[in-house]
Amino acid sequence: MYSGERPRPVHYLLLVPVLALLGLFLASVALLFSNAFSGGGGFSLQYFQQILDRTDYQIVFLRTFVASVAIAVIATVLSYPVAMLLWRADRWRNLLLIVVLIPWLVSLVIRTYGWIVLLGPKGVINGMLQWLGLLDQPVKLMFNDTGLVIGLVHVLMPFAVISILSSLLTIEDNLEEASRVLGARPWQTLTRIVLPLSLPGAFTALIVIFLASMGAIVTPILLGGVSQKFVGTQIYQEVMYAFNMNKAAAWALCLLIVSLLGLLALKAIERRVLRNHE
Amino acid sequence: MTRTIRILGIALLLALPLPILIVIGSSFNPGGYIKFPPDGFSLRWYAEAFADPRWPRAFGVSLVIAAVSAVLVTATSFLTAYFSLRYAPRLGAALEIAIFSPLFFPSAAMGVGFVVLLAKFGLVGFVGGIVLAHLIVTLPFAYRPIHVAMRSIDPDIVRAANVLGASEWRAVRDIVLPMTRSGIMTALLFSGIISFDEVTVTMFLIGPHITTLPVQIYAFIQDTSSPVLAAISTISVVMTLVAVVLLERTVGLAFFVRRETA
Amino acid sequence: MSERDTEIHAGAAGAVRDHGAVDIRGVSKHYGNVRVLHDVSVSVPPGTFLTLLGPSGCGKTTLLRLIAGFTEPSSGTIAIDGRDVAGVPTQNRPIGMVFQNLALFPHFSVAENVAYGLKLRRIPAGEIARRVERFMDLVGLAGYGERRISQLSGGQKQRVALARSLVLEPSILLLDEPLSALDQQLRKQLQFALKDIQRKLGTTFVFVTHDQEEATLMSDVIVVMDAGRIQQVGSPGAIYQNPQNLFVSRFVGEINEMPCEVVRADGGELLVRTPAGGLTLPAAAARGFAPAAGAAGVLCIRPEQLHVRADAAASLPGMVSMPGSLVEELDLGPVRRTTVDVAGCHLRSLTVGGEAARMGCAGAPCAVLLRPQDLRLYESADARQAG
Repeated sequence: MYSGERPRPVHYLLLVPVLALLGLFLASVALLFSNAFSGGGGFSLQYFQQILDRTDYQIVFLRTFVASVAIAVIATVLSYPVAMLLWRADRWRNLLLIVVLIPWLVSLVIRTYGWIVLLGPKGVINGMLQWLGLLDQPVKLMFNDTGLVIGLVHVLMPFAVISILSSLLTIEDNLEEASRVLGARPWQTLTRIVLPLSLPGAFTALIVIFLASMGAIVTPILLGGVSQKFVGTQIYQEVMYAFNMNKAAAWALCLLIVSLLGLLALKAIERRVLRNHE
Repeated sequence: MTRTIRILGIALLLALPLPILIVIGSSFNPGGYIKFPPDGFSLRWYAEAFADPRWPRAFGVSLVIAAVSAVLVTATSFLTAYFSLRYAPRLGAALEIAIFSPLFFPSAAMGVGFVVLLAKFGLVGFVGGIVLAHLIVTLPFAYRPIHVAMRSIDPDIVRAANVLGASEWRAVRDIVLPMTRSGIMTALLFSGIISFDEVTVTMFLIGPHITTLPVQIYAFIQDTSSPVLAAISTISVVMTLVAVVLLERTVGLAFFVRRETA
Repeated sequence: MSERDTEIHAGAAGAVRDHGAVDIRGVSKHYGNVRVLHDVSVSVPPGTFLTLLGPSGCGKTTLLRLIAGFTEPSSGTIAIDGRDVAGVPTQNRPIGMVFQNLALFPHFSVAENVAYGLKLRRIPAGEIARRVERFMDLVGLAGYGERRISQLSGGQKQRVALARSLVLEPSILLLDEPLSALDQQLRKQLQFALKDIQRKLGTTFVFVTHDQEEATLMSDVIVVMDAGRIQQVGSPGAIYQNPQNLFVSRFVGEINEMPCEVVRADGGELLVRTPAGGLTLPAAAARGFAPAAGAAGVLCIRPEQLHVRADAAASLPGMVSMPGSLVEELDLGPVRRTTVDVAGCHLRSLTVGGEAARMGCAGAPCAVLLRPQDLRLYESADARQAG
């Protein structure tokens, strides 16, 4: 729609709302910095020093990072069969798409709650196992790493399905046929044609899920429990219960930095992989 | 596609809505604790949810925040996209990067940033503060569909309206706005759903008098295992479902699976 | 509106007017360092079908868009109906426009498209309906009002675009290559329809095209443009018969060229040396430059002014004869095109009636005959560029 016209001064008013919002966002980031670097009434690096000194804090960051990478990889891999199913389901695609979209758009509190109902000590799975006489004591499926990973993978998977499907839909139908006509076996078609062409979507999924998992609070608290420390849960507790905004801001900044480093690493891997497939 | 993948795909696809279906199913259980499959059918927990004033209130707050945020963020996106696409594509590209930057912020970090910011204005625990945060969170999701829809308008169509006597404002009202309709609908519903369901950032911003539905559900999960939660959750799921079906009926779902080619 | 009405009325009554429908004076346009128009001046007489003709990138569309007010000229003035329109936004200019890609409103029906301009003018609904019907009728689309734009064929869309502009009865209609996307047959049909409508309404049409045949067929006046400058203005016949420079003679119609050098220029005669020998021409043959001895030039002549004879020594009274060899003979329906190699130059001749006996096979000796007064002498393009 570009007209080649220069905007008149009055046209810049159109940007007032967006600039206001972006300004507020920038202000919140600036405040994050100013809070993180103060403490005890002046400039201070004490909270960063703490993170550098205390191994228990470092373990929380490491745990969060490793779990997020694992969750991103598992969710992306598991999403492939679903995305391929939708890709090939021409007539039913819209209906199946709704089946994926609803879990994505329903509040993650509710989806997490669903897993509590399933995994909890009085939950559906324990109930069934006891009813079948396989157990007399409920097994602990929640408040541990398993519950946390299951929960986050499930909560974040719909996005991966949509992202991979978007990539698959850009593959021209005749490409797959051509591969078959040339004598490729289904597995060869899959690994040599379909997989490489869907990689951009897969990397988008990896990045988005990694970031979402890094910043997660609700699912880790509810399924992992307070003892299974996650960076997000620690930050939340600093704000809501310890009221230590400076420490929370310092943690938030570190979380941001670690997330962005992870993002850059994933981007570098993506470039490498995509180049090899050209 | 091989059969193994197909079967795996079907199993995993069905697993996606499973926890939600179990919540819905157990909301109709007459017994005093969560049970699935339910023993019978009862609307008891729905009645209890409505009897406790905290639930209708949280529901109302969420609905107001979602509606206000959706309208404001959609209007903001429309104005920004119009300016960028019509007058300044270069500046627009730079703005777009800024608009999408919140997507790269972990929610927990964004939550701290907003609570510190809103505290400066004394807005923590107020609807206005939560709306401001939701506007920033939903901006990328509202901007993209509008930008995509508006980008395909031929500049000569707007010029044609001008030649026929339309002022810039009339051309926007009569031509640009209706031709961007699908993007606007998607932006409204998409940002409305995200705002209605947002919890991770919002949980930093609630106060003693104001809380949203998802945050209140979160708070209750920690305190109680009452099936009233299942009933509330079901209502919330139905809201989302209605919005998605509305989207599908009006403009389709193609937007969600479109990859940017440009 | 009323002001415009009276003005049109005054024009129709034959009142003395000292201005054209559009007067362009000294207009230049540059984008950054790129100049797309150089000091263009032209006046469009009211009621004419004027065509801006030139190759792509010659500035013709830019000129049209300046008239429409989409951009302002870098210097110079544009007046419409005698009024300077500098700073006047598009919507306040008394013009209509048909776009190359038509720019129909896809979310409106056909009738809504045509009615849009009338609605903006707050004309009562009944009157709008009447006028829309009249103009739909005029463009041959009666009964198509309820259709969606997407249900129309290319030619029908064309007609909607035309009706949408004409229904406002603008004093000037700008048309930006509106027929270029159509197939040959439909194009011919619409060319006649367009010309017919223009004659009926008496509206001033400013039409942009790169197709010289289309321009010749439809226009009262052609403005030939190249490289941002006006090369020649005139009726189609005048431009064909009397091209002002090498570019115009090449661009409008087919032309034969032969390089030459001026040997002597004095009195009423020019002596030039060509690869095929010396030639004497009237001094009036030189166009657009004053030939001096030693200057490089190009001799041009239209194919129908060349006669070919099978006898290499053939001569006719008042004609110059040049020996050559036959390259090919092509029968193109009503005409035959004969190509002859004369001293390394391929000259083409067109003769009516393809039934005449053939000259022979390729390589056969023959003669090309021409009248010296039909020849035009132009400064050679290389010389012009260097200068």
